[in-house]
This record gives sequence, structure tokens and C-alpha cells, in this order.
Amino acid sequence: MSQHLIKDLIPREELLDSGHLACPGCGAALAMRMVLKGLGENTIVALPACCWSIIAGPWPQSSLHVPLYHTAFETGASVASGIKAALVARGDTETTVMAWAGDGGTFDIGLQALSGAAERNEDFIYCCYDNEAYMNTGIQRSSATPWGAWTTTTPAAHPEAHPKKDILSILAAHGIPYAATATIAHPDDLIAKIRKAKGIRGTRFIHILAPCPPGWKAGDDETIALARMAVKARVFPLLEVEAGQRWRITLDPPREPVGPYLRKQGRFRHLSDADIAQIQELVDRRWETLERRVRDGG
Amino acid sequence: MPDDRGSPDLAHGVPPVAVSSTSTRVNLTGSWKYIRPVYQDKVAPCNQGCPVGIDIEGYMNLLREDRIEDAIGLLLRENALPAVTGRVCYHPCENACNRAWLDDAVSIHGVERMLGDLAIEQRILPEPETPRPETVGIVGSGPAGLSCAYHLARLGYTVTVYEAEAEPGGILRYGIPEYRLPKDVLAHEVNRIRALGVDFRCGVQVGRDLPLNVLESHDAVFVATGARRGRALGIEGEDLPGVRAGLDFLREVNRGGRPALGHRVVVVGGGNTAMDCARTALRLGAEVLVLYRRGREGMPAHDEEVEDALREGVRFEFLAAPVRVESTERVPDREPLEAIEATFDRFEGEPPAPHVAGLTCTRMRLEEPDRSGRPRPVPVEGSEFFVAADLVLTALGEDPDFDFLPEDVERASGVVRVNALNATGHGALFAGGDITDEPHTVAFALGSGKRAAVGIDRYLRFRAGEIGDGADLSELRQGPKGNISVTRWVGGDPVRRTDPVNRVVTFQETNPAHFAPVARAADRHLPPGERRLGFREANLGLEREQALAEARRCFNCGVCNECELCLVFCPDLAISRSAGGGYEIAYEYCKGCGVCATECPRGAITMTREGL
Ligand SMILES: Cc1cc2nc3c(=O)[nH]c(=O)nc-3n(C[C@H](O)[C@H](O)[C@H](O)COP(=O)(O)OP(=O)(O)OC[C@H]3O[C@@H](n4cnc5c(N)ncnc54)[C@H](O)[C@@H]3O)c2cc1C
Ligand SMILES: Cc1ncc(C[n+]2csc(CCOP(=O)(O)OP(=O)(O)O)c2C)c(N)n1
Ligand code: SF4
Ligand code: SF4
Ligand code: SF4
Ligand code: SF4
Ligand SMILES: [Mg+2]
Repeated sequence: MSQHLIKDLIPREELLDSGHLACPGCGAALAMRMVLKGLGENTIVALPACCWSIIAGPWPQSSLHVPLYHTAFETGASVASGIKAALVARGDTETTVMAWAGDGGTFDIGLQALSGAAERNEDFIYCCYDNEAYMNTGIQRSSATPWGAWTTTTPAAHPEAHPKKDILSILAAHGIPYAATATIAHPDDLIAKIRKAKGIRGTRFIHILAPCPPGWKAGDDETIALARMAVKARVFPLLEVEAGQRWRITLDPPREPVGPYLRKQGRFRHLSDADIAQIQELVDRRWETLERRVRDGG
Repeated sequence: MPDDRGSPDLAHGVPPVAVSSTSTRVNLTGSWKYIRPVYQDKVAPCNQGCPVGIDIEGYMNLLREDRIEDAIGLLLRENALPAVTGRVCYHPCENACNRAWLDDAVSIHGVERMLGDLAIEQRILPEPETPRPETVGIVGSGPAGLSCAYHLARLGYTVTVYEAEAEPGGILRYGIPEYRLPKDVLAHEVNRIRALGVDFRCGVQVGRDLPLNVLESHDAVFVATGARRGRALGIEGEDLPGVRAGLDFLREVNRGGRPALGHRVVVVGGGNTAMDCARTALRLGAEVLVLYRRGREGMPAHDEEVEDALREGVRFEFLAAPVRVESTERVPDREPLEAIEATFDRFEGEPPAPHVAGLTCTRMRLEEPDRSGRPRPVPVEGSEFFVAADLVLTALGEDPDFDFLPEDVERASGVVRVNALNATGHGALFAGGDITDEPHTVAFALGSGKRAAVGIDRYLRFRAGEIGDGADLSELRQGPKGNISVTRWVGGDPVRRTDPVNRVVTFQETNPAHFAPVARAADRHLPPGERRLGFREANLGLEREQALAEARRCFNCGVCNECELCLVFCPDLAISRSAGGGYEIAYEYCKGCGVCATECPRGAITMTREGL
């Protein structure tokens, strides 16, 4: 990506305010900032419990320049469906409704509601900002936590024993019109996907990798670097899937091994070289599957 | 927006739904931080690495913005002879280039040459400052003298240059061969200096044709007479006709002479003069062998020159030294040299009238390093062998000759002693170039001339009571080393600077993730076969488009070029564009995460401790 194009590709409009309550270097805060640039002012957000419940500010403050509904942890997709239905009932078909949930609220407790809405092809954009654990409540594992990671519920002696759930495939399997991955390190790609999603009707799902310095035990300044490295290491490929069928890799930078990416994070400090080799294998296998899907379709 | 969010219905004390009515901007989250980012304009390593003191980073950035005229302007502020240095400077800037850690150094010389040629083509003439009443005399018109004359003329002085030879240029005119530096390129750049009002008095050797005290009519004098006294072989037979000083041979050819050389020329030495002698002799039709007492790695000649010599067909005999020059009487029937390549049979003339038979040589081996840190060559006993040659050219290095200077000018180990602005301490006498203690290169000579110009300006302004003498020289430097920027002395830097600090940006401070690998453009060359047929320029440089692409490879180390990544990546929206260009940070909201500093591609943001 050429740095001198980036600024021209990114809308100047800011719909997030300073003074929000995210930690220094928070990827989730940046993710919202960029997504709103892509969506514009005519947007309503449904927000289940997560770090963003805090980042948005305590009553009577809000860090957003668009309406935001705080809702129960498991209800992101249902509340978004409801808001959309209410808008349509009032004759407003233009306002974009976005559910904005963490990985816990998406991969785990919110999955039933999301699956139901996706099956009905409810007309909203569902963004999952993924920091790979329940961060707001103090770093408990979720089904988005990668194999081998430390969290407070998967201590270094018994680190996370299951590979990260493949949420994109699950959503794609619902046959929704658009599903994509993005990261905060690739703002041009992210905003292009958000704009594309905005132009489509039905359930659209965007999975955004949003590194979390305290939860990943990484430097506050390394958020962007980590997201960038995750893509290079193919731990988090940048994709889009249309109608659950047409898989496409949107950005495929020169490949790098997973080691440097993992070693940059304290949550992987306990891993041996053999563990890292195993992760590499897992990543390689998933990449092969992905390439097959790109080639042969869904 | 926050204002028209409506207020909650508080009729019953508690709103039915809690509705926000203010922004989070009331939270001054900046109080959380213990470190803060500051925009800091640092020094690009190339700028420090350039002995001339050119703002390379600056002109690369202007080129990236397609501002070619401005780039030429910035280059001409600091360098009197860009078309010359773009060709013959050994570009130490490129050795310092941060980009080399990613893929390959930026072809700085290629870009400089393109700009230098454009400046000639477009007849660009820099504006001089307000005229000054004083006059300055300059002895010697090599790169040091030309540089000093150029900068003094720009500073408003009346300058007279005294030159012993018929034309200005010093080694550039009479040493470096036409195929490396076409004479018309030099002439164009000298004409630019003339156009600034500099008066050249050629054919005047100070101390012989003109007494030294004539210089007293000037308010200040700069002496840069160079190093032209060739070192002797110190062996038997060295005075035979058929043994010639390499520099003398080059001077003859550079004056247009085409001396007869015989079939075989042996060049003794491994420096740049040796390479120029060898390649010149080759072009005059001789077979050429270079004899050097150390190995290939030990050669002081610049690598590219050695490569070119090899490519053109010069042969090398390493670890060999002459012990005796043999006359035709002593060795009448010598063994012929193996023909180097069939192309040489076009030589049909007779050997030059006085010629030698060849050299008796000895093998050398390398022992423990000497004081210079290089392995010491010593003869291998009983290893003598004979090398046939018609002509021997000696190129063992040159020493300065400044006997005409007053006795009390301080000297030390064969050089004139000068201070940081090249003053000798002897009244208004300044000196620079090869007669002072610095590497013998064109770039160092140009840098010393510029330093002296600043030194003379400072001296004369001080004498006129216009300034004090306390100026801090380190502020004129680009980085902590010796070069200086005349722009910093004069002021009026066209580049927008944030908070300038005189610190060089390391590769670690840049963020190479924002640059994709791109191959470096290689100079175009005449095919070696064609090169041997004459004195046409061998290295053709870069196409304009290639040079512009090289400028886009530049990281622009240390200087904000408004790429805006810091603003884009700040999670706290603490960065905004400021009205006068550049960016500002709202410290009341900045949490000190350091994302901006880490992501800045060029190290133009520094994290500093809070409260310091
Ligand atoms: C053959 C050769 C090739 C070289 N190639 C390169 C190269 O490719 N790149 C590089 O960076 N460096 C090269 N060098 C080194 C470089 O040329 C010198 O370091 C540089 O020219 C020194 O500049 P100067 O101004 O001090 O002296 P010079 O260039 O030597 O100029 C001195 C001038 O003073 C004049 N002069 C001397 N005495 C008097 C007097 N009494 N009165 C009036 N005038 C006088 C001389 O005629 C001469 O014109 C080369 C050197 C040689 C010998
Ligand atoms: C039903 C329910 N269970 C538990 C909680 C407590 N809770 C609030 S936020 C949160 C974690 C959310 O994790 P995630 O969705 O990954 O978002 P993050 O905090 O990581 O941004 C939990 C467990 C809750 N609010 N409601
Ligand atoms: S815990 Fe992580 S995700 Fe939550 S606000 Fe802090 S940095 Fe952001
Ligand atoms: S990348 Fe550009 S600014 Fe940096 S050292 Fe190289 S030429 Fe100079
Ligand atoms: S990215 Fe923003 S919050 Fe972080 S240090 Fe820079 S200005 Fe401050
Ligand atoms: S990131 Fe870009 S805009 Fe920001 S300081 Fe660095 S060069 Fe300037
Ligand atoms: Mg989470």
C-alpha cells in the first residue's frame, strides 16, 4: 500500500470524539472510528455489552456522533433487526443499522441471535471487532481466542486448547450476501469493504481484527503493527465472500512466518518453538482450505 | 451533533430511557499519559553522509511531489557542481542510506545527475544575495576553489579566481578523463559560476607568475591548490624515458594530446588515478596491465571503477610490486605479453621512441596489519619475475604542494592546518581541498570550499561589526559530523520544518512496513566493446523517469512529508491538520500510546517523557 494514497482514500469526516474511555492504543476504538468514516452520519448502532460499552462513555456522555443503543450481551443481532424493522415501519429505508459487538458477543453468547437474523437475511451490517477474548471483564477466553493463548481463564500452564472458531465460514454458510474480514492496519481495505457492504441489502457481516494492548500483553504503540503482521503471517487473511459462494482474498502481502507475530505478544510468551511450529501448521492448513475455496467456490 | 441529542425527560426524576446529552470531550484523557509524542524534524543519514552537505532528503521529497524546479533550486543551494558530482562523486551518501536495510540504497547519484543535467539544460542561475563591498581571492580552481567561489558569489562578494592552468576545473579538467566526466559538462557548470560574476584569471601560477602579496589586495583569500606531486617508485631505472607519472599522462590526454604508448602499458598502483590511467591507455589502443602490491580487496580505488576497468579488458596482477625498470639495452628480447583480447590488434603503430623493456617484479604476501589497519605487503624472497612493457605509468598517490605559502602558515604532516571553517589562523587566509587534512575526493573538496565560504563570510561580517563571533557551528551541520549547510547559515530554508533537532534517523526509527520492495534503478552504460573505441561517456546515468522513480523509493527519513498516517491511526483523534501545513496534537486528549510515532514511516515523531 502506498502511503501517499492512504490519506486520499480515507474520508476526513470524524464521527467519533476524543475523550472516549478506551485504553491507550486501543484497536477497538480505532476500528469504530474507521467504520463510521465508511458508513457516514446516517447510521444507528446497536451495542451489546463489551469494552465498547465503556468506550462510548458514561451517561450522559456519548463518544459517537450517531445514535447508539446499549443492549444486553446476547442481543446485538436481535436489537439491530428490531431497530431496522422500526425504521422501515416509519418509512425510513435509508438509515444503516449496524450491530457492533465484541468476539464474545459474536462467537459465543450472541451467535444464536446472529444466526437467526442471518438466516432471515435481516437488513443490517453486523461488525464484530475481535480482540480475541472477553476483555471488558478482565481477559477471559472466548471461542475467538487462538490456540495456545494465555488468558485469565486459560493460564500459561493450561493455555487455550482449541483453535479459533472459523466465524467467517459459519456466517458464509448462511448464504448471506456479504461477509468480509478487515483490520485496523489496512484502513483503505476496511473502508472499501464497509462502503461495499453499505450498498448491499440483507445481512452483511464484517469481522475486524482489533488488537488490544492489555489483553494481548503488547506495547500500546504496537496495535497497528500487530494487525499488519497478523495478515502477513496469514493468521488473519483479508477476505470477502459474496452470497456464501464467491471467496476472494482482497490483499495478500508477501508471506511471513507466524513466529515474529506471536513472539511480539506476552500472551504467547510461554509457547515453545514446537508449539509455534504447530500453529504454523494450523495456519498453513487453513490457508490451503481458503485457497481451495477461492478456486472452487463456497 | 452532541448539542441536539435532546435531553431526558426528568419529570419523574429518572429518565425512561437514559439518553446522552454531552460528548466525551469533557474527559481530558490526556492526563492519563506519561509520555507524549512531538513532531521533530531530524537529519536523514544521507544528508549527514554527504561531505558536500546537500539536503538530499529535501530534494527527494520535492521530486516526489513533482516539484522538479524546486528540487533543482534546493540542490543548487548547497552544491556548486551537481552534474559533476552526479557523475564522479563516490556517493558516500548511498552507503548511509536507510533504504539499504530494506532492499537497496536509493540511487542518489543518479537523481543528482539528472537534476544537475536539467539545471544545465534549463540554464538555471541561482539568485545572489545583496552585494557586499569586500573582494575575495581564490587560488586554484579545482572543486574546492570552484565551490568557495560559487558560494561567496552567491553571498554577494566580488570573487577572483587565480588558476595556473589554461582552464578552470583542477583535477576535474586535467585529471579525470573525458569518458567519466565530459568536459562540456564541467564547462557548463563553470559557466554558471562565471555568470554569478566570478572572474577567472587562468594561466596565472601564484608564487611564480604573480607574487603572493598581490593577494593582499583582497579582503580574504582561499587557497586550494590541490595535490599534484606524484609519489616516486623509489626503484632503479625509474628515471628512464618510458616511465611516466600517471597524472602527467592524464593531463596530456585531457588537453587533447594522444601520445603514442606502444603495445603494452603497465600501470603501477591501485587507486583511482591508476584506474583512470589504465582505462585511458586502453582507449588509446594499448594492452594494459595494472600491478598492485596488495589484493583486490586492498585496492583504494572505488569499486565501480575497478569493475569498469575489468569489464573493459584491463588486466590486473595483484600481490606484485616492481623492483627494477628494465631498459631495452638490459633486456633486449623480452617475452611478449599474452594478448589480452583480439580487439587490440588494431594497434599498428611503433612503440614510442623512448621506451622500456619492462619491469622486474616481485611477488608480495600480506602480513599483520600496519598502522593504517590494512595488511602490510612484504616481498616474497626469490619470487622475481619479468613483465614486459613499453610504457610504465606510476600512480602511487599524490601529495600537496604549497611551498609558495608564507612560512608561518601552520602545517602538519604534509597538510595545511585549518579550523572547522577552514581558516588557517593566518589573518584572512583560508584553505581547503586536497592541501588540507581530509579525504582526497571531489565531494570533500566541494564541502571544504563551502565551509570556507561561510567562514570567510563570518570573518568579514564580524570584521565589519555586523555580527558577533559566537555563532554555534554545530547548528550549521547536518548531523554531528563535519559537513555544513549554507542554507542554515543564510536562512530561508524552503522546507517546512517542525522542531529541528540535529540527530540522525536510524533505520529502526523508520517504519519500513509502509514501503514495498522496489528494485533500484541501475545506471545505463555503453557496452564495454564500444567504450574502448573512444572517449565517449561510459556511464549514461538514469532516464528522467527512472530518476523520478528512485526519488519515490526514498523514505524521506526524519522529515514529515504529510503522509498523514499518524492522523489516520490515532485511536484518540488527538491529531489534526494545522492551518499552516503539518499537524498538531491535542495533548489534552492524547493518551500517549505512541501509535503515531511507531507508525510514522520516517521517524518524524519522537516520544518524550511527560513533564520534561
Ligand atoms: C586522476 C584522478 C581521478 C580522480 N577521480 C576522482 C573521482 O572520480 N571522484 C572523486 O571524488 N575524486 C576523485 N579524485 C580526487 C579529486 O579529484 C580531488 O580530491 C579533488 O580534485 C581535490 O580538489 P582541489 O580543489 O583541492 O584540488 P585540484 O582539483 O587538484 O585543483 C587544484 C587547482 O589549483 C591549481 N593550482 C595549483 N597551484 C597553483 C598556484 N600556485 N597558482 C594557481 N593555481 C594553482 C591547479 O592547477 C588546479 O587547477 C581524483 C583524483 C585524481 C588525481
Ligand atoms: C449475559 C451477560 N453475561 C456476562 C456479562 C458480562 N460481560 C460484559 S462485557 C463481557 C465480555 C465481552 O467480551 P467481548 O464480547 O469479547 O467484548 P470485549 O469486552 O472483549 O470488547 C462480559 C462477559 C454481561 N454483561 N451479560
Ligand atoms: S481492554 Fe482492550 S479492547 Fe478494551 S478498551 Fe482496553 S485496549 Fe480496547
Ligand atoms: S531513504 Fe532517502 S532520506 Fe533516507 S537515507 Fe536514503 S536517500 Fe536519504
Ligand atoms: S496516536 Fe494519538 S493518542 Fe497515541 S500518542 Fe499519538 S497522538 Fe497520542
Ligand atoms: S506519519 Fe506522516 S504525517 Fe505523520 S509525522 Fe510521520 S510523515 Fe508526517
Ligand atoms: Mg473481545
